[in-house]
Amino acid sequence: MSLTDTVPLHASSQSDIDEIENLINASVHSGPATVLPARPPSPPRAQIPPVWDTVKRDLSRIVSNLKLVVFPNPYREDPGKALRDWDLWGPFFFIVFLGLTLSWSASVKKSEVFAVAFAVLAAGAVILTLNVLLLGGQIIFFQSLSLLGYCLFPLDVGAVICLLKDNVILKVIVVCVTLAWSSWAAYPFMSSAVNPRRKALALYPVFLMYVSVGFLIIAID
Amino acid sequence: MDPNQPVQENYANPKTCFFHILFKAAGLAFYILSALFIDNFVIIFVVTVLLAALDFWVVKNVSGRILVGLRWWNEINDLGESVWRFECLDQESLARMNKKDSWLFWWTLYLTAAAWTVLGIFSLIRFQADYLLVVGVCLTLSVANIVGFTKCKKGALLKK
Repeated sequence: MSLTDTVPLHASSQSDIDEIENLINASVHSGPATVLPARPPSPPRAQIPPVWDTVKRDLSRIVSNLKLVVFPNPYREDPGKALRDWDLWGPFFFIVFLGLTLSWSASVKKSEVFAVAFAVLAAGAVILTLNVLLLGGQIIFFQSLSLLGYCLFPLDVGAVICLLKDNVILKVIVVCVTLAWSSWAAYPFMSSAVNPRRKALALYPVFLMYVSVGFLIIAID
Repeated sequence: MDPNQPVQENYANPKTCFFHILFKAAGLAFYILSALFIDNFVIIFVVTVLLAALDFWVVKNVSGRILVGLRWWNEINDLGESVWRFECLDQESLARMNKKDSWLFWWTLYLTAAAWTVLGIFSLIRFQADYLLVVGVCLTLSVANIVGFTKCKKGALLKK
């Protein structure tokens, strides 16, 4: 379970191991004279570059996950591979952003709108995942949460447009388009996870949740 | 600092320790003080949860590696299964870890989780469901780090 041999995992993990070794060597050198490490000592590195690398790695992962889920790409045929590097930062930002947008659009009860939007989206993602698992589907809990969060991106875009333009007809059109986009994004992952006969049972609640969010966006005054 | 103990070793990574504490303290302080001064729940929620998320990221990616030499993550292997990985440095490097650093690391983790639990009990008593939501999110993030790093530590102890 706990391995310290340098089994090459992802390229980022390998660089992490090097970072740890460098930092250990740096802190050893800064302390009182101790037994020299077996490896050749590397120059003591400032702690700032490694942290920045980690931040960049995480940010680029969010962007690539977003592109994989929401935009057409060749990996959509193999859903398991597509969101291999799941993360929850993207979903977190999108849920908070959607809550903020809805709250901003609301003229009264802003706090309640935000809290309800956040709770519904977060709980909804968890419940939808449990739904797939209970239907006997093969899906990984966090991967599914991550996916459902990223699929909120089109609705975020729609909510921003509706915030800027207050025309009801436009809102309906925008929401329908972004709703279709979100459902299209979620479809391959959800449908491939379950038995083909139960596809509709797995997909219907997802669609329902996005429709309710769409209604929230339209109805917010 | 403790005047009773002879100062044998100082903190080896003061900047990391500082950041390790910074976001935890900022989140708790903002949450507690904002209830007195700020009337807008949305701001309280977003700022507190943002600080808690930043703290989670710092502990998991930075201070865990530097202060105690542990790290944990999840990956999905080629078979499509989810695998949790818990790693520690080799025993030699672990023994060289600064004791003060690791003391600070673990105790601030536990204290933060305890503080959020107490705040959660307060909002439960007051039937404030929305504040309970904030506390719930922050508590989940703290507990996740505690569980992850404890599993790493157990693995390290097993290897001894």
